[in-house]
Amino acid sequence: MPPSSKSADGLARTAMLATTIRRKNIKKGLAFSVMIVGSTGLGKSTFINTLCESPVFPKKDCGSPEKAALEKTVAITPVTVEMEEDGIKLSLTIVDTPGFGDNINNEGNFLDILHYIERQYDDILAEESRIKRNPKFYDNRVHALLYFIAPTGHSLRELDIEFMRRLGARANIIPVIAKADSMNPTELAAFKRRVMEDIAYYKIPIYNFPYDDEEDDDETIEENNELRALLPFSVVGSEDEVVLNGRRMRCRQYPWGLVEVDNSRHCDFSKLRYMLLSSHLQDLKEITHDFLYEQYRTEKLSKEGEDEDDELVDEDDRTEHRRQQELAGAEVAAQ
Amino acid sequence: MPAAAASTIGIANLPNQRHRIVSRKGANFTIMVLGESGLGKTTFVNTLFTTLLRDYKRPEHRFQKQLERTVQIDVVRAEIEEKGFNVRLTVIDTPGFGDYVNNQDCWVPVVEFLDEQHQNYMAHEQRAQRQEKDDLRVHVCLYFIQPTGHTLKPLDIEVMKQLGSRVNLIPIIAKADTITPGDLAIFKDRVRDCISTHNIAVYSPPVQSDDEENTRRNQSILSAMPFSVISSENDVVVNGEKVRGRQYLWGIAEVENEAHCDFKKLRNLLIRTHMHDLIVSTEEAHYENFRMEKMSAEGRSDDDPAMRARRGLEGKMKEEEEALRKRFTEQVRMEENRFRQWEQRLIAERDRLNRDLEAQHKQVKTLEEELDELTVSRRK
Repeated sequence: MPPSSKSADGLARTAMLATTIRRKNIKKGLAFSVMIVGSTGLGKSTFINTLCESPVFPKKDCGSPEKAALEKTVAITPVTVEMEEDGIKLSLTIVDTPGFGDNINNEGNFLDILHYIERQYDDILAEESRIKRNPKFYDNRVHALLYFIAPTGHSLRELDIEFMRRLGARANIIPVIAKADSMNPTELAAFKRRVMEDIAYYKIPIYNFPYDDEEDDDETIEENNELRALLPFSVVGSEDEVVLNGRRMRCRQYPWGLVEVDNSRHCDFSKLRYMLLSSHLQDLKEITHDFLYEQYRTEKLSKEGEDEDDELVDEDDRTEHRRQQELAGAEVAAQ
Repeated sequence: MPAAAASTIGIANLPNQRHRIVSRKGANFTIMVLGESGLGKTTFVNTLFTTLLRDYKRPEHRFQKQLERTVQIDVVRAEIEEKGFNVRLTVIDTPGFGDYVNNQDCWVPVVEFLDEQHQNYMAHEQRAQRQEKDDLRVHVCLYFIQPTGHTLKPLDIEVMKQLGSRVNLIPIIAKADTITPGDLAIFKDRVRDCISTHNIAVYSPPVQSDDEENTRRNQSILSAMPFSVISSENDVVVNGEKVRGRQYLWGIAEVENEAHCDFKKLRNLLIRTHMHDLIVSTEEAHYENFRMEKMSAEGRSDDDPAMRARRGLEGKMKEEEEALRKRFTEQVRMEENRFRQWEQRLIAERDRLNRDLEAQHKQVKTLEEELDELTVSRRK
């Protein structure tokens, strides 16, 4: 059979399969979990509210001024929101991490977040090992981690580097430049370049829109390349709406102008949203399951195997002990 | 007429004389900028004096710096002249402050620097010959706060507490073009609340003056604290005029526009109206404070109780280290002894067994010989 018609046939079959899966997903709905990490005041909660188009996290209540001097721990707060995206029902779990990077000494913060992520993996591991598995088990693994970078205009700070390095092996990290309206286009481009240079220099693992040269079609490859060139995504969040030319738009109002959240010339918010909740949602989930979770599983199980080796050492000790006793006994007998 | 005669003596001319004396002598002004990296401190200094005083950080060097984790004190000097008035300006920057994961004690180099300047001045004063003092006492410290929109961070509070009692401290909200006017007002309120709750001593310029206009201006300055600041060295064209500003896609944020930020008020305070007060209050109030504390603590060693306490702790730590090491060597020696004794016991055992074996062997030999003899004799 000539190859062209074979591939055409194959394509048609794949298309049908894709439609069936899509129809099933529409009925069942998708579950997706995103974690948002960054220092206080970078607009994380506002971003979440903008993303979900509803006030999921209330405006920060700063509490009394006395409490401002207290050292806090990271308070990991997951919230689930039901949304509809592109006709598909989406059950989006957002994990906020207030308190990260707030203290004078922030070394403990990494572990808090790492332990949360690993605990979700542990739950899945335990569930998989059961004899009777629950088919409705809720997958709470973090599929994407948005890390908010402060718009200093220089380069990554030590906190950013350390965090992304340590957590890059456990979650898909997507770096995001917060409060992008503090930089004009030239500054933003230079800052993005330096951040990517830092990421390459420190070999920080991030989600960089991988594609398969053989499997994916040209369109997907091009899309991924485009998105990769935009990294890190610049983001502006706002819950305030303004009516302009008869249209309601979300924007930030300054005395010198209006920054529109959904305008792709002003920031990358709309592209990020589309990528996260539509086009690359499946890919992020797959990488989490096929790659990150497997890696964690292997590491954890081989560590347990190492603990078994320790028992052998104990045995050596025991034989040693017995030999000593015999020696002592022989001595006594000889005297 | 006696009144008219008095005015012709020239008493009214005294302020003019003083003005001429001061302008010839010029002024010595030291300003310190403090805050995390990337808050626009360098740009601010360059904008304030409208000249490129400090170079920007070179991005190529950043990989080197991040390994060291130190807070440095950088001193830049310049001579500025305007309308015949000379200012010997010194700008002190603190790169590395608040930039790391663990910022514990990052304010200590700064505090030590401030105290050291007072100390040096005091030592210099007491010398027999005191001429041109190289006076680096800091007249004003500008602390840059991140425009989070929430409230002060624990680091901010701790540092400002330490600094407020030693130097004229002016808190500044940096990169104010990130925050909308409504949010800015709320943020300023929260910062002011924090400052008053924690009893942080920020610089409050004297309000009352002889001039009605001055009083009003001072009041407006006071009510605008902490100052929100936008800095830029680039000129942009607004309504046909060239102004300093930042050009965005959605508009131009102007540095000197009072509706956009408080830069003008701050500049007036620092240079135009209150420079003299800042200098005088440093040299009088803060220096006197320092001197008083030092003099009353005379008789003890030169250092701050904090330094002494730390040194004491260091000594104790060394002692404990020694003790641990001794214990460790002791234990190692004991174990070695035990092993040696065991070894000797084993050797003794082995020798004994060998001897027994020998003895038995000999017995066997003698018995064999006897047997041989007997067989030989029987055969005979």
